[in-house]
Amino acid sequence: MERFAKRGVALVAAGLAGTLALAGCSGESLEGGGDKAAQGQTTLTVNFWGDMGLDALKAAYEKDHPNVKIVLNSGEYNAQHEDLQKKLVAGTGAPDISAVDEGFMVQFRGQADKFVNLLDKGAASYEAKYLPWKWAQSKSADGASQIGLGTDVGGLAMCYRSDLFKKAGLPTERDAVSALWPTWDEFIATGTKYTKATGKKFVDSGTNLFNPVLAQQPVGFYDTSEQLQMEGGPKVAFDVSMKAIDAGISANLASFQPNWDQGFKKDQFAVLACPAWMLGHIQETAPDQKGKWDIAAIPGGGGNWGGSWWTIPKQGKNVDEAYKFVEWMIQPAQQIEVFKTVGNLPSQPALYKDPAVLDYKKEFMSNAPTGQIYAATAEALKPQYLGKKNGPTRVEVENVITRVQQGSLKSSAAWPEAVKAAEKAANS
Amino acid sequence: MTHSAPPTPATEPAHHRKPKSGYKSRNWLHRFDNKRVPYLMISPFFLLFALFGLFPIVFNGIVAMRNWRLDDPALDGWAGFANFERLLHDEDFWNALVNTFGIFVLSTVPQLLIALMVANLLNRRLRANSFWRVGVLLPYVTPVVASTLVFAIIFARDNGMANWLLSLVGFGQDAPLDWRAYKWSSWIAIATMVNWKWIGYNALLYLSAMQSIPKDVYEAAAVDGAGPWRQLWRITVPMIQPVLIFTVVLSTIGGLQLFNEPMLFEENPAAASGGSDHQWQTIAQLIYKVGWKDLNLGYAAAMSWALFLIILIVAALNAVATNRLGGGRR
Repeated sequence: MERFAKRGVALVAAGLAGTLALAGCSGESLEGGGDKAAQGQTTLTVNFWGDMGLDALKAAYEKDHPNVKIVLNSGEYNAQHEDLQKKLVAGTGAPDISAVDEGFMVQFRGQADKFVNLLDKGAASYEAKYLPWKWAQSKSADGASQIGLGTDVGGLAMCYRSDLFKKAGLPTERDAVSALWPTWDEFIATGTKYTKATGKKFVDSGTNLFNPVLAQQPVGFYDTSEQLQMEGGPKVAFDVSMKAIDAGISANLASFQPNWDQGFKKDQFAVLACPAWMLGHIQETAPDQKGKWDIAAIPGGGGNWGGSWWTIPKQGKNVDEAYKFVEWMIQPAQQIEVFKTVGNLPSQPALYKDPAVLDYKKEFMSNAPTGQIYAATAEALKPQYLGKKNGPTRVEVENVITRVQQGSLKSSAAWPEAVKAAEKAANS
Repeated sequence: MTHSAPPTPATEPAHHRKPKSGYKSRNWLHRFDNKRVPYLMISPFFLLFALFGLFPIVFNGIVAMRNWRLDDPALDGWAGFANFERLLHDEDFWNALVNTFGIFVLSTVPQLLIALMVANLLNRRLRANSFWRVGVLLPYVTPVVASTLVFAIIFARDNGMANWLLSLVGFGQDAPLDWRAYKWSSWIAIATMVNWKWIGYNALLYLSAMQSIPKDVYEAAAVDGAGPWRQLWRITVPMIQPVLIFTVVLSTIGGLQLFNEPMLFEENPAAASGGSDHQWQTIAQLIYKVGWKDLNLGYAAAMSWALFLIILIVAALNAVATNRLGGGRR
């Protein structure tokens, strides 16, 4: 009898556990909100780098779409692109949505068959809203496939520390500062004055002069037939960078690296070439320098540096949900929201006329009218063709500039080395 | 061999004994048990090795013979030895080879010598013996990423601890040494990281071998008038020679595959360029760069095969040399 009793207890216990489990399940599905939960939760992973202002968007979208959960995954710029490339080759593991920068876009649009063709999803209706070159940059060579919807464009300006300028006896008001440097030569002359007055360096790094000057040239490293063109734009940009290093106004910090971030905090430089997306970085790196930064015009006028797209790799399981989210993100309201939080300038020109952009003043940057400044440069901008090997070529030439900054290479001997390095990258 | 012969029936459990009619089947089972089961028991390792070791090596060899570019999917097909031929004329490869060997020598030689000294010290009667023994292993336990980041700060140009120490003895007060700018300084910095990590590990290996040396050998040597230094070189080193060879081969493999330390020493690790002029770019780094930055997987595979062969040769040479050094007993 005793044995039977035990078994009975066990049976009852098992039954109870089962009931509890059932109750647990149904309780959960009720919580989830009826029908939608029955369809199942969709999780969208979004890969990008830096801060693209997505935190607020994520919360808003999840609130309106309870069945969608968004996972934000921010990483290092190069690493994110390389990771995407690996996953595309492996055929698995890519995020549902991935940001792609202009430096890598040529590489990825060459593999358009690995991305969802957004034209199939009805993206054609957005073509008219975009800057024409922005729309064209993410299209496959045959024009049949559009792999990305534009987020932002770079535009160019020069950020400066008005407090440090004041100490050096330079003007601090943004129009007066802009008037100091219509050309790069005058910019370097101003820098020499600053360095003499304070004993401190003026710019962060020679590479951060090379890149914006190169962006202002009609042709960059490669022409449209993918031929390396070092004697044109790159030579102009390289010379400016050498001249600044020789003048002793560069702090020689490698940009986007820990020493560079330290340089912000220790006032190691007073100006910084500033594409729109750089504003977010300054704010994040040196939050206590609020009101000390301001924005002036960049010597030499317009030019583009950076700017990204949202792409949807084909291997994702939630392609339709992903497209819905991307479509929502590029709507004016969201674009303006991103512009206000991190400073990224939208790539839809209609927004440049929108009072929300035009009248916006960035408190962190001494209330500079960032909308007006960047909208003007973006509209005046003639886009540059970036070759397939643009990324590696840039790294190699930047390395030569670094060697000059380290003192292991003379500036007079540097140009042939840069050409050699670029050719190596072009043939790699 | 007598000790591997099948056990006699007498040692078998009683219930295995059956009438004579079942002898044949039992014999079969018995033979299976003895001849096949050992292979079955060790097969998981070899299956796993074939899957995760051998297959990648062979597949890598096939990839090395092909054109495979990620940014140009149309370009595929047989390349023959073109990738290997390119290797011979690639100055980046030779530069990386020189760097790898330079850092390898700077790290392996002091590392093993110091490990030997440390083991010799640990082999004495010490207070808090296990404290010291566990202590030397701590660098090995530290994640390489963490320790390398600390070293990157030590070897920083501005406000680095290494430069501060140098300034104490009067070097570089006005112009601090930029450790990343030159070949020699970057090699020393990286070799220091490697040494720091592996000295304790090797010391413990040596220590375990030393403890199996009978004490009376030392006593006899001491009676004959051999000092501690002579005892170390004449008795200890020859007696632990198998372990010495093992550590030499192990650090050869590790040293020639060096990747983490040089990678993290870079200001921008993602660039994998090993310094502004590839001062310290190792072969492993170059393979990573060619494969994932230049997207030329075929060429990267050829490089890794070349590295594999180089390691085999160097490890064999080192083993022979160590054998000679220890008196050539084997």
